[in-house]
Amino acid sequence: MMIRVSLFLVLFFLFIVEGTVYQIFAPNAGEFDYQVIPRWMFMLILFAGIFRGRANGLFYAVIFGVIYDIVYSSTLGIYTFGMGVIVYLLSISIPFFKRNLSMTIIIVIVGVGLLEYYVYGMMILLGLTEMSNDEFLSVRFLPTLLMNLIVLAVVAYPLRIGFLYLEKRLGELND
Amino acid sequence: MTPFFSNKRLIILLVCMIILVGLIGYSMSDRRDLSWPEQFVQDTVGWVQSAFSGPSHIAAGFFESVSDMRNLYEENQVLKSHLDEYATIQVEVNELRRRNDELEGAIDLKEDYDLMDYTVRSALVIQRSPDRWNEQVGINKGAQNGIEENMAVITSEGLIGKIDQVSQFSSTIQLLSDQDILNRISATVDADEAVQGFIEGIDPETGYLQFTKINIDVELENGQTVVTSGLGGVFPRNLQIGEIVDYEYDEFGLTQTAYVEPSADFYQLDYVMVVERSADKLEEDIDPDAEGFGESENEDNADSEESNNESGDEDS
Repeated sequence: MMIRVSLFLVLFFLFIVEGTVYQIFAPNAGEFDYQVIPRWMFMLILFAGIFRGRANGLFYAVIFGVIYDIVYSSTLGIYTFGMGVIVYLLSISIPFFKRNLSMTIIIVIVGVGLLEYYVYGMMILLGLTEMSNDEFLSVRFLPTLLMNLIVLAVVAYPLRIGFLYLEKRLGELND
Repeated sequence: MTPFFSNKRLIILLVCMIILVGLIGYSMSDRRDLSWPEQFVQDTVGWVQSAFSGPSHIAAGFFESVSDMRNLYEENQVLKSHLDEYATIQVEVNELRRRNDELEGAIDLKEDYDLMDYTVRSALVIQRSPDRWNEQVGINKGAQNGIEENMAVITSEGLIGKIDQVSQFSSTIQLLSDQDILNRISATVDADEAVQGFIEGIDPETGYLQFTKINIDVELENGQTVVTSGLGGVFPRNLQIGEIVDYEYDEFGLTQTAYVEPSADFYQLDYVMVVERSADKLEEDIDPDAEGFGESENEDNADSEESNNESGDEDS
């Protein structure tokens, strides 16, 4: 039973950490010129989409998109839609990507970039921010990608082992 | 090879987009209370968040206190020198308070609550929105603890924002630095003459609050203290906001805009205090259209006669 919900629990743990622990230890906007946004939960969902299939990824993307919208965002629907569509498009679950770790990392980071740009576009559209495109790129987009890329590069290999183990255990359960 | 977007997928995508627009429209409508599914999710997540944020606040506090220990001695000297002033001020305050009570008693003001009176409830900050598009933090007290929408929120250093969304066991604070157009607070300058204006968001480059719509004839000075005015509904009077560091005429030359350095730190929040004003709130259902004042004076059609009759009936 535990093994079935383990992915959900880890995602929920990351979701909580992004909003609480990370925010307490994160650099202040007052002293630090760049905004570094953690997208760890989303990266793990993309991983799940690639390793466990499109339907699985989409399921987690929508569930956590809804929670993200309700808890952290003032406007409903933005993350649910964005995460759903991006995970759906990028969940290319073929053996070439599963075996080739650097391809997986590239796809996941592209996903993070797409999400970041999509949310920026929505915020401009709704008039919730006045940040210019250049400012967005230098202050927010690149530092965020860089930080997430570093985290991803560190955890990608253990994650793949984890997902292969998960697949094996779930296969045994289903037999 | 089949096309990437088959008809079925395209229709699903379109339906999703319609739902997205609908949801955005729903959540952008102002004066919206949280629906019960939102409250349920927020409370459940909030409960877990409290379990996480408590220990991490303690850990962060430990590192902070280690660095604090270095300048402990200097701080102690400064505080000691302030302590001497404190005694004289205390005597003066007692004297003034006694006289104020006497005077209020003389004109029968005793029954009314003052705009300055308030009670506080302390709450733990449990989350901050990780995508920094909105400046909102969550606290672990909600409607069940007596929190209501639009209440002021302070730390020991000064005002930080107001309650934005209330759930049963948790609620969201909109900080003064939030860029939302509706994030506006009635403020006044602590000076001899009354200087009214609004705190409207933060200048992202300098980090100063914008204090707008100040009368053009007023002479401002750098270093003046800005406090809440208590005129805007549920805020009490005299909550400290910050100090004026700069001022200029606005873009049309009709009013003045001052830049206020906030006295409170909007980051590193752990415990905050939610302020409830003792004085009565503004009535919520004051609606100028309802009584038909404007229409009945300016227009002479059948509608205005009807509204005249109605208002006449109410009066009698």
